[in-house]
Amino acid sequence: MPLYEIEDACFWLLRTPPEMDLENADMSIERLKQFKPSTTRPDDFEDFWQLTLQDLRALDLNATVQHLALRSTEDVDAYLVHFDSLHGVRVSGLYCVPKHAKHPLPTLVIVPGYLSDPDFQKGWARQGYATLVVRPRGKSGSQDQFDPGYPGLLTHNIVDKYSYGYRGFYSDAVRAVDFLKTRDEVDTQNIFVDGSSQGGALAFVVAAFCLEVKAVSAGVPYLAAHIDNLKFAKTYPYQEIGDYLARYPEREPAVRETLNYFDIINFGPLITCPIIVNIGLQDNTCPPETGYAAYESIASAEKQVYLYDGYGHDGGRLDGHLPIVQEFFKKHWVKPGDQHAS
Amino acid sequence: MHPDSPAKPADFAEYWAEVDTELAGLPIAAEEELLELRSTEYCTTYKVHYTGLDGYRLMAYLSIPKGEGPFPVFLNISNYTSVLQILPQGDAVEKRRRYITFTPGGRGQRNVDKPYRAEFPGFFLDGIDDPSTYIFRAHIADLLRGVDYLLTRPEVDTDRIAAVTKFDLSVFIAALRPAVTHLVAKPVFFYDTVNNASNKTDYPLEEINDYLRSFPEKEAGVRNTLSYFDIRHFAPMIKIPTLLWGNVKMNAPLIDALGGVVETRDTENSFYKDGVFQEKWIARQHGFDGPILPENW
Repeated sequence: MPLYEIEDACFWLLRTPPEMDLENADMSIERLKQFKPSTTRPDDFEDFWQLTLQDLRALDLNATVQHLALRSTEDVDAYLVHFDSLHGVRVSGLYCVPKHAKHPLPTLVIVPGYLSDPDFQKGWARQGYATLVVRPRGKSGSQDQFDPGYPGLLTHNIVDKYSYGYRGFYSDAVRAVDFLKTRDEVDTQNIFVDGSSQGGALAFVVAAFCLEVKAVSAGVPYLAAHIDNLKFAKTYPYQEIGDYLARYPEREPAVRETLNYFDIINFGPLITCPIIVNIGLQDNTCPPETGYAAYESIASAEKQVYLYDGYGHDGGRLDGHLPIVQEFFKKHWVKPGDQHAS
Repeated sequence: MHPDSPAKPADFAEYWAEVDTELAGLPIAAEEELLELRSTEYCTTYKVHYTGLDGYRLMAYLSIPKGEGPFPVFLNISNYTSVLQILPQGDAVEKRRRYITFTPGGRGQRNVDKPYRAEFPGFFLDGIDDPSTYIFRAHIADLLRGVDYLLTRPEVDTDRIAAVTKFDLSVFIAALRPAVTHLVAKPVFFYDTVNNASNKTDYPLEEINDYLRSFPEKEAGVRNTLSYFDIRHFAPMIKIPTLLWGNVKMNAPLIDALGGVVETRDTENSFYKDGVFQEKWIARQHGFDGPILPENW
């Protein structure tokens, strides 16, 4: 269960168990707030991304949607989707559409973790969502033209923001929303995004660049204050950067400069939609300090963070957080004919 | 167990003996490729290439502590994933100061994907209609081959080789390679697979449901194939200390069949709590005062 949820500058205790150590709870928050990331925001940050998105949208989607009888059930249709993305790289997605729900459908974009191999999310489809699981370049199913591998992606061309692997990777996540907006079955007023770890970072990026997204859940976010994470826990995948800088210490300024364009702390000020973030206070992969800094950067007037003490990179998702995400999305459905509801 | 739970095939032992016979007919032919980028002041890391079944060229990550060995081994058996990791995500890199870490790849995974690249989802079902064509016959043989290579290393402390996974492939390794001294496993796939899948809707077990929904006439063949891979049939061959994750009641037949000292543990739904417990268990089994944990644990 979450220790507490914090909304904006206030916090209250959620489901206080009698044994909760309130002093330790306060210390955790203070510890998180004390961390100051070394991230800086380049003056041309928004220009860089404007140009990237312009390049992206200058390309035809060239989308194909292939029905997969093998993966479909009596209540869900499953599809393999392909579309063209930045620099002409063709990427894929796994798309589930509920068979018996009324169109247009609320729609969920699920963005993947760093190591995971995405699969069909029929469970969300059964809740009524058209659900697209994006497979950005280099992921299984999207690796024919770009495949830096794992370890590898995190430091791929890391000295150059124009060719850094994540420029295309972030673009692919945004492209998924472009694809969904072409679909008749999609209710474009009700597009939601959910992701954990790298997916949490991609959720930030999609929220920042796709203003039509209705609400976002970003779990245990990765790609925040990249190098700072190594102060808290030397573990992979952030250790890929540790390895790189140990070998090439003279490149650190160039690495930092590149990462400033991809650090989700710099995307936070562009996020205006409702958003929830969950963090495990013992996260050994994406330390809570950097995830909390990413949360603090969010400009949205409606943001909440859920802190889970005694939980690691699962961020509480396996022990009660998933229903919170489900309720959060439902709460923000725009009902037909009510365009101003939240 | 379910009344349809697979019986052990009469030729189970011969089936797996044949895998070893085929492997014995091929040289390991190892080549170590130094990875300077992943080496540190306390360990040296390599990509190792060697030959598996049918002459397929395999790959593993190997890290050896600097200094005088021999060293205990953390044999990192992958989950159901395309990615091979030098160390599991979130593990303290400092573990490589104490342990040889070895991650053998199986055909289909990244770096072991030429000519065969696994699809996800899809890998679990490849060739499943027949035990002789089922991809996991070769995939498990590839992991066994990795252990065979590992045992050629003079740095290995042969009294302390822990096969560790969050999945069940380590069970096959522990059963078919008695050199493994400790086992960590979680029954996920290869445990009364068809019956367990029928109660699930998530992948990867949903791959089985997808297949049998489309091809119900193939169920008998699928069950027959998977009977050669059910970990209950391997369990009696394992006589080493074992940490088995999962529900105790559901795992009871497996626990009863395992031959060594078994500690069972159900998840606390916390990567942190489960992770600390497991690291402490491994360290204790290897005779260390404490585990090497990430700094923020």
